[in-house]
Amino acid sequence: MKKQLVPFIAIFFIASCSKDPKIDDTMLDSGLYFDQSIYNPEKYLVSSSNPSPTPTEALKPIIIAIHGYGATTFEWDEFRNWKGLRTDFSISQVLLGGHGRDYQTFKNSTWQDWRQPIINEFEKLESQGYKNISFAGSSTACTLILKMLADHYFDDHIKPKHIFLIDPIIVPGNKTLSLVGVLGPMIGYTTVENSAGEEKYYFHYRPYETLQQLRDVINVVRKDLEKGIVLPVGCTLNVLKSEKDDVADPVSAVLIYKGTKASNGTSINVKLVASDLHVFTRLSARNPTPTANDFINQTNAFNEIANLLTQ
Amino acid sequence: MSKKKLILKVSGFIFILLNLNSNISYSQLNKIDVGLRFQKTIDLYYENGITGQYHFSKRIVFGASYITSRLGSGINSNAIKQDNFTISGAYLFRPNKKLQPFARLNTGYFTADYESPIFNNLQNNSAIFALDAGLLYSFKNPLKLNISLGYNAITGDGKQGAGTLYPVYLQTSILWNLKKSNSK
Repeated sequence: MKKQLVPFIAIFFIASCSKDPKIDDTMLDSGLYFDQSIYNPEKYLVSSSNPSPTPTEALKPIIIAIHGYGATTFEWDEFRNWKGLRTDFSISQVLLGGHGRDYQTFKNSTWQDWRQPIINEFEKLESQGYKNISFAGSSTACTLILKMLADHYFDDHIKPKHIFLIDPIIVPGNKTLSLVGVLGPMIGYTTVENSAGEEKYYFHYRPYETLQQLRDVINVVRKDLEKGIVLPVGCTLNVLKSEKDDVADPVSAVLIYKGTKASNGTSINVKLVASDLHVFTRLSARNPTPTANDFINQTNAFNEIANLLTQ
Repeated sequence: MSKKKLILKVSGFIFILLNLNSNISYSQLNKIDVGLRFQKTIDLYYENGITGQYHFSKRIVFGASYITSRLGSGINSNAIKQDNFTISGAYLFRPNKKLQPFARLNTGYFTADYESPIFNNLQNNSAIFALDAGLLYSFKNPLKLNISLGYNAITGDGKQGAGTLYPVYLQTSILWNLKKSNSK
């Protein structure tokens, strides 16, 4: 009888361990470093900075740039900096729902919450009269954009011109994510080793509830891709994927390529990038320091996006 | 792997299984089961195919299987077409009972077809090394049924390995004992 009790006592002990991580003041998780787009939306969102465009402005390209799971608008800051004073297109940097605030808000959010600000910004721009809207997503943002396509969201809206997916995740690098439903309640959260510079912009702790949400949305979209997704008329889809990526397995690009077609039935554009970084377009605050090749990859991607937007 | 090679491998495998019936003495037939295998990888595909096993002793069973998403999630869908060739060795507990728990060691070869030269730089094959454990039930007729939970020790991690090789799977096999079927 005593022997039979041992595993139960062990499970009880594990289940009794604290599920809340020890958060310190250097971390985004602490709630001391809210994303700047919350305080200064006019700096990040075109719908706030220019809510009444002239007819000419309304026709200029706007790209809604969206970050990935656990990140913030910081992920696309380098694209904004690279753009500099160019006025031939604008960038709206969207903060995903549940992100960029504190651990508890993140923990309580669902993938539908994450997606909502994308829809909000798109619909605001649409109602303000903007006609030339595109999307750029990194990592999980790509999954959320694909879900909008799979749900035929754009059937009742203006059609996006171009969609760029940077390191989309459909298959996780770490396959243990498939077991989060079983392991998650036991471990409570996972930890990410951010660099000192990343700590204010990326959650240090990932509550299992959000990992479960991540798993849910990538599974739903994988099945959507298996059935097939057709792009809105006139919209292009461009995937740029690191060849080695331990967060978003490169085979994700294969699934998107096989599962998505343009409205005329042609294949989408996929380019594999010789990189081992996840979200290779974000180099700021990386440790170790990015290589010269990493900077070339980043500039090439930014050029490709800008050229297609403005052609 | 080219389609030709794949067809050759699969047909060779089926040929071996079918030949077991004719090349092995009648007394040995009670040691051989052949059948169908159905597998669901957690968070990924249904992969189905054929399987056979040879009862080397009361407790030791050797087997071979071919399963593929072509006969599962890949049917009329954009799922990746992938193939698994495995051989296995199993240990049966309670071998004289109808319900036999077992533990099994599997090894073999995995390959996926990415269908476009764009992805030539991505690894699409891998060795398989997996453990599974479950239950085998023998009916009075030649039918046997097994179900098990398996763990793939080799999976893709995004930097190495095949991306659609996942860790945990459930499988069931419907097996037919050749002697019992011949004696009818």
